[in-house]
Amino acid sequence: MIIPVRCFSCGRVVASDYEKFKTGMDKIRSTGKKPTDAEIEKTLDDLGVERYCCRRMILSHIDLIDEILPFS
Amino acid sequence: MELKIIELKERFVRFSISDITPSIANSIRRTLIADIPKLAIDKVVIHHGQIRDMENHQYDSSLPLFDEVVAQRIAMVPIRTDLKMNFREECSCNGQGCALCTATFSINKLGPCVVYSSDIKPVSNPEATIADTNIPIVKLGPKQALLISADAVMGRGSTHSKWQVANGVSHKYHREFILKKNLITDWEKYKKLYEKSVLKENDKEIVFTDDYGVRGVAQLFEFPGVEIREENTNFIFKFETDGSLQAIETLEYALKRLPQRLNIMLDSLVAPD
Repeated sequence: MIIPVRCFSCGRVVASDYEKFKTGMDKIRSTGKKPTDAEIEKTLDDLGVERYCCRRMILSHIDLIDEILPFS
Repeated sequence: MELKIIELKERFVRFSISDITPSIANSIRRTLIADIPKLAIDKVVIHHGQIRDMENHQYDSSLPLFDEVVAQRIAMVPIRTDLKMNFREECSCNGQGCALCTATFSINKLGPCVVYSSDIKPVSNPEATIADTNIPIVKLGPKQALLISADAVMGRGSTHSKWQVANGVSHKYHREFILKKNLITDWEKYKKLYEKSVLKENDKEIVFTDDYGVRGVAQLFEFPGVEIREENTNFIFKFETDGSLQAIETLEYALKRLPQRLNIMLDSLVAPD
């Protein structure tokens, strides 16, 4: 749906970092490459998303709000 | 007992406390997680029905998310807190809600747009600003609008995670890796790589520690002949805050709060008849 505000496990605010992560990934994709594991790792590290509970919040998220927007 | 700050940022602190027992260390950890007060939005009034803008265009208050989901997301947003604010149940207004215990906020947004936490505007208390302005709350389609007023009150993490200030609170023993120079020939390389983590050195041995959070120093664990020494009286703590309070404020409050709570327990003890 839409990225949860806080990490389910530890309570860190992840929603604002998700936006930055997405722009970082889009920047890499705009050059025609797929982001590599190392690039994803570095983007998360630079954002200060340290623990794996917060990392999975960002990595495993699928934004579906645009899909349900026409039906509200 | 001695507390030493190893690393301090606005929202992060790493510190060590010596000569304590594991149970005291754990009580400090639990106080940091669940017993620090902060402001969080607790009551939300969502306007239902038609909303009109300045040019008399009509908008609808229906949203792509349920109202309670939006309310929960707004509540989770961190708000900069003044610790002098009262808890509502202890306030001189007898729980009615006044400027000393409540901060009011409002959102007024017309679609199509994304409502961010920066759109939550403080009304009564201009100092209670939003600490993280980049959080998406909800997305609005064309002809949709959001009109909300909300009250924030003080609370503690033990009640709800929206009142949790410190995240990732952890503690560990102070640990030393003693490398024998004759067994590991390229010790000079590691000395240069982890210069910050070197504690002491003599002709035969070099001692590293992983107290300072230097990345990669843990690989020394697996080297041949490394002696690992841990002390169960010397603890390294670290935690980060969500921005509602500064890390150092949080730590100071926690250390004052712990004896307070123990006194509450002592006072409640009654001698048997």
